[in-house]
Amino acid sequence: MTRLQKSRALRLLCTLAAVAALVVILFPVYAIIVGSFESTETLFSGTFYWLPHLATLDNYRTVLHGGSANTQETVTGSQSGNVLTSLLVGLGTVALALVVAVPAAYALSKYRLRVTVVVVSALLVAQIVPSIVLATSLFIVFHWINLVNTYPALILADGTYAIPFAILVLRAFFFSLPNELMDAARVDGASEWTTFRRIVIPLARSAVITVAVFAFLAGWGDFIFALTILNGTGIEPITLGIYNYLGNFSTDWGAVMASAVIALVPAGIMLVVAQRYIATGLTAGSVKG
Amino acid sequence: MKTSPPVEAPAPATTGTGAAYPSAGIGSSARLSGWRKQQIAGWLFLTPAIAYLLFAFALPVVYNVMLSFERTSPATIANFTAPFAGLANYRFIFHDPTSRGAIVHTFVFTAGSLFFQFIIGFALALLFSLRFPGRTFARSLIIVPWLLPLIVTGVIFRFLFQAEGGAVNQLLRTVGLVHHPVQWLNDPQLAFWTILIANIWLGIPFFTLLLYSALQDVPVEVKEAAVIDGAGPWQRLRLVIVPIILPVIEVTLLLGFVFTVKVFDLVIGLTGGGPANATQLITTWSYNLSFQVFSFGEGAALNNVLLVLALICSPMYLWLSRGSLRRSRGAEA
Repeated sequence: MTRLQKSRALRLLCTLAAVAALVVILFPVYAIIVGSFESTETLFSGTFYWLPHLATLDNYRTVLHGGSANTQETVTGSQSGNVLTSLLVGLGTVALALVVAVPAAYALSKYRLRVTVVVVSALLVAQIVPSIVLATSLFIVFHWINLVNTYPALILADGTYAIPFAILVLRAFFFSLPNELMDAARVDGASEWTTFRRIVIPLARSAVITVAVFAFLAGWGDFIFALTILNGTGIEPITLGIYNYLGNFSTDWGAVMASAVIALVPAGIMLVVAQRYIATGLTAGSVKG
Repeated sequence: MKTSPPVEAPAPATTGTGAAYPSAGIGSSARLSGWRKQQIAGWLFLTPAIAYLLFAFALPVVYNVMLSFERTSPATIANFTAPFAGLANYRFIFHDPTSRGAIVHTFVFTAGSLFFQFIIGFALALLFSLRFPGRTFARSLIIVPWLLPLIVTGVIFRFLFQAEGGAVNQLLRTVGLVHHPVQWLNDPQLAFWTILIANIWLGIPFFTLLLYSALQDVPVEVKEAAVIDGAGPWQRLRLVIVPIILPVIEVTLLLGFVFTVKVFDLVIGLTGGGPANATQLITTWSYNLSFQVFSFGEGAALNNVLLVLALICSPMYLWLSRGSLRRSRGAEA
């Protein structure tokens, strides 16, 4: 074999290996999408169909209108209500994360404060604390202050996923802004707040979007706080809706999979429109869970 | 993810913020007030974050320690405090076979996940650093598992591993490896493998992308020099590339460890801790103790075991992040 042939063969081999890896990575998602369009008879036939078999929209109709024959636990509303709940929680988490994190990251990167090292260390350690540890205590604290089963409680809890990460990512970004920029504004007589609002925030747009995307996915995908801080009446995010469809003895697979696919929609949208921001955020060393 | 040595500029206090102003024509009182104004502004910007950290992290962690020494009951939840219980909760979890099992499972699960995630992630990172058609596209799709809500991942794998009608068994039967459906979720040992496999799948994007970006930072000259010196691919990898990216490998494993000890949703969605508690991890069993049987004290004690386990690596994490920690305004001036 000549050198050229050899390198061509090698490249082909690489492509084949990448295709194989992608098949393994994407197959589970493919399977659930196909499964969500199968009829109950097909799903319980004991055979797995690699390609769509008698596709139907029944599962989506069931979950969007509420109710399911096989569900053991009471599902309070239809998944369309749950989608709205999850959207609110996701957006609330974004709002909380931005309000807390943007000014904090600015302070931790552009002001000489005595507490900087302490706060940044605390943020790094905070990312390590497992959510179940927080959930147990927060449940009792929220119970104590009468916030169990409310949106503010859930959003405050979901902020634990997003806020330390957001501050650290934004802080790294703010370091890249030249100090002269702020100093020039100060010399021109702008207050610290005006400088922050008019100059710093507009420049930080891309970092803010990264952080917002992650905060949204964290709030949208949260399960552990929804399971612990909500008591199952009234507020039900989609993640909890899926869990309730699982049931104790029999699983209504059609409903589960249609709900799961609906829960994947934001991630899918982000993958298409915010790919750049996601890759940035992922390599910025985020901690999830 | 930069672990370069810290470059703290030994700036005297007066020049820290004062140097920004043109020194001529501004008296010391004006400079002082500028400095004070900035201190106040800085603190105000930071206050919401400090308040949040105290409320959402410090308070729960401290309260969790308190709870673990209390004799709680469903009735005590309303009182916020309960009678002192000494070490009873800790004695319970170290004698309770399910709690002990959960601790052991957490160790095995974490070690197994990291081992396979690292090997697969590194292999894919190396693959993606070669030139071949479609590599950018493939790399952009590899992050998919990481974007899914974790409960959804659990549910997906539960579907795939069903004994009847699951894709995995279907494949194994088609290929002819098995003739009877494998009871993935009903056999204790196999169920543990299913949570491990699902978690490995979940962690691949993180390992691949972090290691990939580290490989991109290896200078081309270094690789070329190794080729000229006659090093084979394996030697180049082991003696040249791995030592250069070692800091990133450390951070990746560390963060991977932190992710994995926390895993909860995935297991709840996939096996619910069963069968016969074979897939019960510290997180899932702690949830069970606190929220199913309302023994918050015992749940808190188990939580503290998890917290210690997770925080063991925090000194190392802080040390690896020291560059970013010491960085402050003026450092890059």
